[in-house]
Amino acid sequence: MTLKAGDEIPELVKHPTTRQLVQYAGAQGDFYEIHYDQDFARSVALPGVILHGLLKAAFLGQLVTEWLGERGTLKAFEVSYRGIDQPGRPYRCRGRVTKVDGDQVELEVWGEDSAGNRTTVGTATVDVKG
Amino acid sequence: MATTTVVDRLRARIGVAAPPVSATVEAGHLKRFAEAIGDSNPRWLSEAPPTFLVAIAPTSIHLAEAEEYGKGWLNGGNRFESIEPVKVGDRITATGKVVDVYEKTGSSGSLLFIIFETEYVNQHGRPVARLRGTAIRR
Repeated sequence: MTLKAGDEIPELVKHPTTRQLVQYAGAQGDFYEIHYDQDFARSVALPGVILHGLLKAAFLGQLVTEWLGERGTLKAFEVSYRGIDQPGRPYRCRGRVTKVDGDQVELEVWGEDSAGNRTTVGTATVDVKG
Repeated sequence: MATTTVVDRLRARIGVAAPPVSATVEAGHLKRFAEAIGDSNPRWLSEAPPTFLVAIAPTSIHLAEAEEYGKGWLNGGNRFESIEPVKVGDRITATGKVVDVYEKTGSSGSLLFIIFETEYVNQHGRPVARLRGTAIRR
């Protein structure tokens, strides 16, 4: 794989729904009500139910592993949740190579809301097979 | 002041490991997790996707009493480190600890930050992954 800093990787657009949040709550075992109970979410000053940060992390994990395929391994990835995201709106996951050092490749990854705000930002480190 | 007490009590927990939690990575659980995140890669039928380990043990510990502070939780961020692949049938033991607790006051009020780390060890005693997280009370 010939990679260089600045290369953008193929984007991944997710379409989360409230149903998916319930599915994720069950699969992860995180039953905090802000992810499926509209009244509860509003009672803690949110506009309505919001995506789990860890679900957005999973989307970004998928972004990287789909791009990487069998060519390498995701070693580490770190994300900061900068803003909330609501279901019913597309969530666009993107990434760009920032550094290539032998077999080790660093990327910046981020998730954008439908207005283009980066509500999740992070970095990923992958090992590519030489 | 009540909030100071909560911060002090949580700070006293820094570095103290919680009781380990063990779980076997089950095929059905992996499948439900991959479906829930909407990732249909067949690789995840037998191998854990990057964030799966958050589903086998609570991601944060000692946090119940932090609920005296503010009115809601926010997840500030996570770091996932993979040391070796986790496969169906692996018996994983997760040990978590609080590594830092601090308060920040900004224009919109006070926030309480709790930084925790979890280490995951497999049935052979080898560390397979680490997780770091920032839980915020606001």
